[in-house]
Amino acid sequence: MTDSKETIPTSYRLRYKKGEQIFKQNDFGISIYKILSGKVLIFRECDDVEVPIATLGKGSIIGEMIFFLRATEVRSASARALEESELDVTHPMEIIKEYEASAPILKLMAQQALNRLTRMNRFIDRLIVNKQEEPDNLKKSLSLWKSNRRFYRKKVNLTCKYASKTSLKGFSATLEGTIKNISMTGLGLEIDPRNESAIPHEIGEVFQVETTLPNGKELKLPCTLVRSARGRGYINLGMTYLDLSEDERKILGFFLLP
Amino acid sequence: MPIDPVVYEYIASEVECPANQVIIEEGSKGDWVYVVLEGQVKVKKRTPKGLVVIDTLSEGELFGEIAFLEGEEADRSATVIAAEGSVRLGILNKELLIAHYSAMSPTLRAIIKSLSLKVRETTTRICAALVAAN
Repeated sequence: MTDSKETIPTSYRLRYKKGEQIFKQNDFGISIYKILSGKVLIFRECDDVEVPIATLGKGSIIGEMIFFLRATEVRSASARALEESELDVTHPMEIIKEYEASAPILKLMAQQALNRLTRMNRFIDRLIVNKQEEPDNLKKSLSLWKSNRRFYRKKVNLTCKYASKTSLKGFSATLEGTIKNISMTGLGLEIDPRNESAIPHEIGEVFQVETTLPNGKELKLPCTLVRSARGRGYINLGMTYLDLSEDERKILGFFLLP
Repeated sequence: MPIDPVVYEYIASEVECPANQVIIEEGSKGDWVYVVLEGQVKVKKRTPKGLVVIDTLSEGELFGEIAFLEGEEADRSATVIAAEGSVRLGILNKELLIAHYSAMSPTLRAIIKSLSLKVRETTTRICAALVAAN
């Protein structure tokens, strides 16, 4: 019979063989892991692409993002042992209590760092998926469950309006351009070089692009500028979407059907 | 985002910055933590193709916390520049922050430090991805 006073151990050690999964993206779980020996790959699974985030070794902590979310969300990445590895697994019950009681300013700092990290991870996902869809890089997916998936980029000629989402009031302007190609992850926008004098067009800037598809459906696309190429009398901008709403994804998906 | 009331208790001084003034320079030493009180700042990172904007921070957002959370030896992970218009910043009381941070258990500090290291690494990866995409 179990002694009711027995305390649950908060820390224990686990060994993983090469290739073994430690935790999986989208799983629930709150344990935090410290690598005692070996090497661990952290990666995100975005569509059918595995996006490596980091290879970590002895002394590194993994799985801590969920700690700050207090298990209200699922794991944001997966972890796999790249070689035989030993990890210290902690159930952070006591640490959560300590964190809750700690100075609110430090919790605010941690929360903002977490938000930033989450935002950046999503952005990297988009960039990677965009890269995968380039015709030259179109590779057969290794994923079993989406092995026949193909990405499409459609050539179009859609007038659009766009505005900076990061410029200050009084420094913002709604400008016009022409979308020359569009896909589920980004678009190519051709603009007049004079637009550059109205608002900054630096790599990394965030814009809202609005257009109407030939079928009359309106799209409002939050985008980040990822490349800029100057032609004679025009500039081509490569944009990657940030978060698309479910509606936007459906409208776009339907439009892009081959 | 609105300024969290808790931040006001820690503001030791305020500064006004003209547009394009460099507030933090990537690679330099320093662990002051700032809050945007008015206006916007741009977070930029050096790449082989020049400075790239990786984030724009508005009112209420903190910056400079990565080097602070990692400790004295850490370099600044990115450059922060005042955007257009009027930018007013609050500089947080470092002694008070250090006192709070030191009071935490080593385990909790290690978890927070790990988070800030990941922000730093991911920032570098974003730049690499942006340069590769360009």
